[in-house]
Amino acid sequence: MTKQSTEGPTLVWPKKYNEIPKAVFEMEELWPKELETIFYGEEWHPIVHRAEIPNPGDYKAAELGEMPIFAVHGEDGEIRVFQNTCTHRGTSLITESSGNKKELECPYHRWLFNLQGDLVGCPNSRDYAPGFDRKNFGLAKLRLEEFCGLFFVTMSDKTPPLKEYLGESFYEPLSRILGGDGRLKLIGYQKVMYDCNWKAYCDNDGYHAPLLHKAFALLNWQGGKGFQKVTENGHLSFESELKIPDDITALEDGSILDFKGTETSTGSIVQMQFPVTVYSKHMDMLNIRYAFPKGPKGLEVHYAYFSHEDDDEEMLAHRIRQSSNLLGPCGLISMEDASVFSRIDIGNKTPGNAIFQKGVEDEHKLSFTVKQNDESGNLPRWEHYRKRMGFERSES
Amino acid sequence: MAASNITLELKSEVEDLLNAYAQCIDDDKLENWPDFFTDSCLYRIIPRENHEVGLPTAVMWCDSRGMLEDRVTALRHANVYQVQWYRHLLSNPVITSEDGNTFNVQSNYAVFKTCNDGESTVYNVGRYVDVIVRDNGVLKFKERSAIFDTHKITTLMVIPI
Repeated sequence: MTKQSTEGPTLVWPKKYNEIPKAVFEMEELWPKELETIFYGEEWHPIVHRAEIPNPGDYKAAELGEMPIFAVHGEDGEIRVFQNTCTHRGTSLITESSGNKKELECPYHRWLFNLQGDLVGCPNSRDYAPGFDRKNFGLAKLRLEEFCGLFFVTMSDKTPPLKEYLGESFYEPLSRILGGDGRLKLIGYQKVMYDCNWKAYCDNDGYHAPLLHKAFALLNWQGGKGFQKVTENGHLSFESELKIPDDITALEDGSILDFKGTETSTGSIVQMQFPVTVYSKHMDMLNIRYAFPKGPKGLEVHYAYFSHEDDDEEMLAHRIRQSSNLLGPCGLISMEDASVFSRIDIGNKTPGNAIFQKGVEDEHKLSFTVKQNDESGNLPRWEHYRKRMGFERSES
Repeated sequence: MAASNITLELKSEVEDLLNAYAQCIDDDKLENWPDFFTDSCLYRIIPRENHEVGLPTAVMWCDSRGMLEDRVTALRHANVYQVQWYRHLLSNPVITSEDGNTFNVQSNYAVFKTCNDGESTVYNVGRYVDVIVRDNGVLKFKERSAIFDTHKITTLMVIPI
């Protein structure tokens, strides 16, 4: 974990609200401050859904900023998130991305923790320093809140309660992505590494969708009615009807695009939670994209796909088939995003600002009214980022 | 060691299929790629990390010849990606058969990717698990699963493995 003085790097922000300095994607010295003020600051970060670790002893490793952490399902049925470090000399406890353990043992000096994080064994402890008390050496636990089975952590005591932080405009559609009631089953992961700064990844917008993704046009997908909702702290939700023509002539086998939906929503939902998480429900795919910045350059994204506990065999097979084809690194209809992330990274090594246009009604005012295919819904997120980082707007 | 009902002739025929498949992709003759499969088929590229714990989600999953053709259509006409070439290296095919008609074949592969910056990287490493049958006298894949160890894909995967 990198510590940074409160001074930190500075970047003069343009006066106009629709202009973002390209340097924000390229200045490596911003990263320690982003860790401090965002990843270790007053934000909630999703780590695991209960469906990923459904049984006692199941665990999943993750990272928060540069800090290794893991979630574990305790003997008591509770899910907890701990720093992935032995409380003795700091050795990491979990080395696999996921698995099941009866207890957590550090191999170095065989300190042993139970699944609730208590230190239950430490060899030769009669020779320890006089002040040693086993009770003070349980695993370091992170502040945790749950929503529809999804567990979020924050490093700050000051972060508002989760639902207040997300806002109703965000958590209500999120509940529909999470199956309505959170009763999900994990069906698998797709993992990918993007060679861009993390902020380029989460700067995707409503303007590009029908333009970049030519498959939409090829499939004669006329985007149905839709809208975006954006919060002051930078969370953005897209919702749209999904109108798929009955006769898809561009495809030999159009069954992949069937919509058998059982959820309460009829369309497609994409949500971007500040700082770097995407959730989506397209057709019958239920998807959480856990994202892990690898420093100022490089972002690892884990697409986790789910079915619902009530799915019959046919629905389950259908979800697996769609999830294995349409999104993610090989996504038939959306892989272009990855190409753009790489190209943004190259193109932003030039001077000047990236200037948002679509949906901007007044360059000097932040607007929270955003239409379906606007890119202006990203601007409140940039404003939230600017404030978190303490960058001043230029006068002229 | 191959099972005793696998003749040298058959072994060579299977190896020809594996090699021709790889060459078809490496030579960018993807329009011919569906011809390596029977009409009713299953082609999957699945992370080993999922496969080993019984999670079924793949990154590509085609269960009809039409879906194979759709992949090629998307790649040629819809998907946006950096110019890139694959080079498959194949090894260690092991062939078994219960009945002499259906052949279970496992082999290793490594795919090197070279983009237009001239840099070659080890892009995807894994094993093929195949079910091969005779279709009008010609050996074809009824099932082909590329189970890949390199479970963190770099940027995207558009060309089949």
